Amino acid sequence: MISVQPFSYAPSEHEAEKASNSYLMSLIAVIAGLPLPIINLIATLIFYIGNRKGTYFVRWHCTQALLSQFSMLFMNSAAFWWTVSILFRNESVSNLYISYIFTVLLFNLTEFIGTIYTAIQSRKGIHVEWFFYGRLTHFICKPS
Amino acid sequence: MKKIALQFILLTGLFFATWFGLSRIDWMKLFRINKATATTEKKLGDLFWELYHQEHREIKSKKIKAPLDSILNRICEANHIDTADIKLHLIENAEINAFALPDNHLVVHTGLINATENEEELAGIIGHELAHLQSRHVMKKLVKEVGLSVLISMTTGGGGSESIKELIKFLSSTAYDRTLEKEADIKAVEYLAAADIRPEPFADFLFRMGEEEGNAVQYLTWASTHPDSKERAEYIIAHSKDMKLAGQPILSDSTWQQFKSRIGEITAGTEEE
Repeated sequence: MISVQPFSYAPSEHEAEKASNSYLMSLIAVIAGLPLPIINLIATLIFYIGNRKGTYFVRWHCTQALLSQFSMLFMNSAAFWWTVSILFRNESVSNLYISYIFTVLLFNLTEFIGTIYTAIQSRKGIHVEWFFYGRLTHFICKPS
Repeated sequence: MKKIALQFILLTGLFFATWFGLSRIDWMKLFRINKATATTEKKLGDLFWELYHQEHREIKSKKIKAPLDSILNRICEANHIDTADIKLHLIENAEINAFALPDNHLVVHTGLINATENEEELAGIIGHELAHLQSRHVMKKLVKEVGLSVLISMTTGGGGSESIKELIKFLSSTAYDRTLEKEADIKAVEYLAAADIRPEPFADFLFRMGEEEGNAVQYLTWASTHPDSKERAEYIIAHSKDMKLAGQPILSDSTWQQFKSRIGEITAGTEEE
């Protein structure tokens, strides 16, 4: 799911730090906005916008972090609103709901661990690509 | 691009496969959710009924209650509902009202029976309240109003009798939300159809109540807590349009008349009080 890949050039210390920070942004946002999944996305988006004119390595990792957060948003929002409708509307707890929550938790945990690992690796200047997101990032983010 | 699409499908597939796989486990049983809910509902039902019963006179005479039981039995049997599970209470009260309490307590006021013109109208209202019970609307309404934690704390002795009385008042004098009311109406029509009882008189009753509502008739609780009576009457008619029921009588004419006059006397007595 996560693999170390060669990058077109060796990033500098400063670039590695910025790239690592893009992943850390989403982790910090997890603590701040756990019940509201949109907060994670906004945090990563702000960091992405701030670095969109940065070097290729920084831009690449900001994009990968943003894309991963973007798909988590859909998953987590569905879980959030489903829970809200159980608490305040006429929905009731069902097997399908509980299994959805566990699935979302599992995917969030995987993403969380993946993010920590990628943050550590990119801090060392090692280029890490995620399954699907890596290819998508290559498609979107081109060297200037 | 092709590989991106393929990986996207794989990832999405993995998500749904995990969800499907996990949904095969009976979490409801594992976490004993249904059992816990049923226990809470039973305790709440006992608590609510005990308090309500203290302040209202229940007619227990089988002779008087028998026609009401016959109507309930007919609906329950035709719809595979265990009659023994439904606790039907006839209360001496001039208010035109019927409502459901937790744990299958179905309360009918004498004032309501007095306001009905035939057994089919009464069957419609019983069907409607029965639908609220069977669809667990009572608990949903309570959970929405005060939250599950407060309800659980009530069953363990927390929450004074005043707050329970407030909740009983809330259940007996406020409507469920529009979606739940409609669901109960439609289900009531289906119950009636299965029991070969014509649903039109139920719509007639609602229509009449809607008319009288405008005239601000005293004791009209059921109609005033169930707004848009005319609109409801219309969709009941629309839903039952193709059913073509001959309608099998539940009670003989004389039994209904006798029942009505007995209830009429009791209601007149409570009105005087």
